[in-house]
Amino acid sequence: MTTQPTGYLCLVLHCHLPYVRHPEHEHFLEENWLYEAITDTYIPLLRVLNGLVRDGVDFRLTATLSPPLISMLRDPLLISRYERHLNRLIELASKEVHRTASQPEFHRLATMYVERFLQTRYAFAQEYGRDLVGAFGRLQELGKLEIITCGATHGFLPLLNVTPSAVRAQLRTAVAHYEEVFSRPPHGIWLPECGYYPGLDEVLRDVGLQFFFTESHGLLYADPRPRYGVHAPVFCPTGVAAFARDLDSSKQVWSAEEGYPGDPAYRDYYRDIGWDLDYDYIKPYIHVDGKRINTGIKYLRITGKTDQKQVYDRAWALERAADHAGNFMFNRERQVEWLAPVMDRPPIVVAPYDAELFGHWWFEGPEWLDFLFRKLHFDQQLVKPITPAEYLERHDVNQVCTPCGSSWGHKGYHEVWLNGGNDWIYRHLHTAARRMEELTRAFPRAEGLKRRALTQAGRELLLAQSSDWAFIMKTGTMAEYAVKRTKEHLTRFASLYEQLRSGRIDAAGLKDIEERDNLFPKLDYRNFS
Amino acid sequence: MTSELPDRYGRTELVLMVVDPLLLFSYWEVTPESLRQAQHALGTEMEGARAVLRFYDISLIHFDGTNAHHTFDIDIGLEARNWYVHLWTAEKSYCADLGFVARTGRFHAITRSNVVHTPRAGVSARDEERWMRVRFLRRRKPDPARPLEFLPSPPFAGHLSPEELRALLERRAREQARLAAEFAGGTSPGSLTQGLR
Repeated sequence: MTTQPTGYLCLVLHCHLPYVRHPEHEHFLEENWLYEAITDTYIPLLRVLNGLVRDGVDFRLTATLSPPLISMLRDPLLISRYERHLNRLIELASKEVHRTASQPEFHRLATMYVERFLQTRYAFAQEYGRDLVGAFGRLQELGKLEIITCGATHGFLPLLNVTPSAVRAQLRTAVAHYEEVFSRPPHGIWLPECGYYPGLDEVLRDVGLQFFFTESHGLLYADPRPRYGVHAPVFCPTGVAAFARDLDSSKQVWSAEEGYPGDPAYRDYYRDIGWDLDYDYIKPYIHVDGKRINTGIKYLRITGKTDQKQVYDRAWALERAADHAGNFMFNRERQVEWLAPVMDRPPIVVAPYDAELFGHWWFEGPEWLDFLFRKLHFDQQLVKPITPAEYLERHDVNQVCTPCGSSWGHKGYHEVWLNGGNDWIYRHLHTAARRMEELTRAFPRAEGLKRRALTQAGRELLLAQSSDWAFIMKTGTMAEYAVKRTKEHLTRFASLYEQLRSGRIDAAGLKDIEERDNLFPKLDYRNFS
Repeated sequence: MTSELPDRYGRTELVLMVVDPLLLFSYWEVTPESLRQAQHALGTEMEGARAVLRFYDISLIHFDGTNAHHTFDIDIGLEARNWYVHLWTAEKSYCADLGFVARTGRFHAITRSNVVHTPRAGVSARDEERWMRVRFLRRRKPDPARPLEFLPSPPFAGHLSPEELRALLERRAREQARLAAEFAGGTSPGSLTQGLR
């Protein structure tokens, strides 16, 4: 038996994007969310993790791949559009190399971008064979990465629970999809938005999930009070384990004021050449309708609270990332040294983040992760990275508590997804969920066209339920799109419901929306019972 | 193409949803038929009757319609079709009736809501411990019906007495809870979907 470390670090990256796929338009702005995340986050992350494997660094990472994200990453149309997007970016970066020829500081960065994008293209097509999900899956097979699932479309379960069959469908569909993709069941789940309510663990148990995560107060306010707070998991009364977010490690990365990503040396996200350069020059690379957007090429560093931003210095930024990784490790070492003496087991520090923070917002985030895992491996013995599965294998006796209803949204409960800006959606979402359940009762063994219509009705309901829409409505910038998506999926659902009820199914119309809203090709409509 | 969603679904219902420990959201629909029945039932008392949501605190009981811990009425505009309701204590179970209160005080309910449970807003006062062994299964799904194995609490570790340790751990948990409450203001810089200007 290997010696027990003083404590464990469980890093969790939540990779998720809503399903944005618009075959009906040649260019669609919101599809850029996916393309940017692939270039900025998913490929850099894979490169870091594969580099660690290559160099014999023993690490553990837990990552959600949400079902919509998996579906998009495997979709041939989106894959080909991504390559088109990346080729345009390479073209723009190449032009930038010429344009900046007389400005050495910028020229160096333009060259960095060209090289980076060329490497990205090579990695995507050659190393990963256009299959990023498969690339993540191989890391899982090596035992380094634990891929967990999520709600089928990231529905915020505490608010869907008015119709309990909606929660069952989100989870059954997610688990079935995971099994289809990875040929094994998922061990655990990232609950969408960390949204938990007492009793949800019964559904998790029923679909075979063995652990989930909650926000800190999910365990701190659990009942009875957990002896070790957030630093050991508890078992829900159903036997499903709950791990909770550690605050100290979260704050160091997340916090807008004190967090690492705000360091003056790091690249500034907001100053993008899509906004800063001459309109006629940049026009071919922004949105086709002429609207300025981010291109992904950014030359300035955060500098400070000033508009006079200075030029990004890559070497300096990487030094800071190494410093920050060292600081993070130092703090975890002190933390477990402080926690361990009063515990009968090594404390676990759970540090979950939105994956897209790494690389997309915080450009140096993937390198920070790289430095961190290397330092943890080579420089110390106190803290060992671990996955929840390994922890539960080693420590199978845990306290029994009921976590407190909670989420990781602003104020910790449901307000982000239920407020004056989005509350109107729930009447429709709940009605549609109830009607879907009713359809499964009315047609328990449908075949042929009827089955296809039932399946598509299920897809439309799931798509309408994405928590992303309510979130975007609340936060503003793309609210119109979120409203449109919610209404479209609900309208398509309502139409299919009427058709099934009346027995007159519009086969051509069905085919059309099957092609548009094509995720979960093997969806079983009885998941909604 | 964005079709508008229906205004009404032709079904009388009242739904409660939890926003946070001290705030509920409710929405409802009352069909013309249900409204006529209510008017008929109240007869002449309908004049001057107020539309209300009558809340029942049914925490930890099996509600039979009469045994609520207490009830309170929230005056609503029937046509508003939704209402936010502020509460004063967390960790309760509620259901509500949508109905009319006549001037005589007689209440006529049109429909009853679902039951909601508001979450706790602080550290639990209960510290009695139960422990359990659950075998983790790799690459397999556990049987949902597998029996659960309860075990005695493990001893407190370290050189402090169990009482001192218990107190220390509780202090730490409360400190963490205080930090958590502070930090809940800004945990996430936002997802990618928020990022495009």
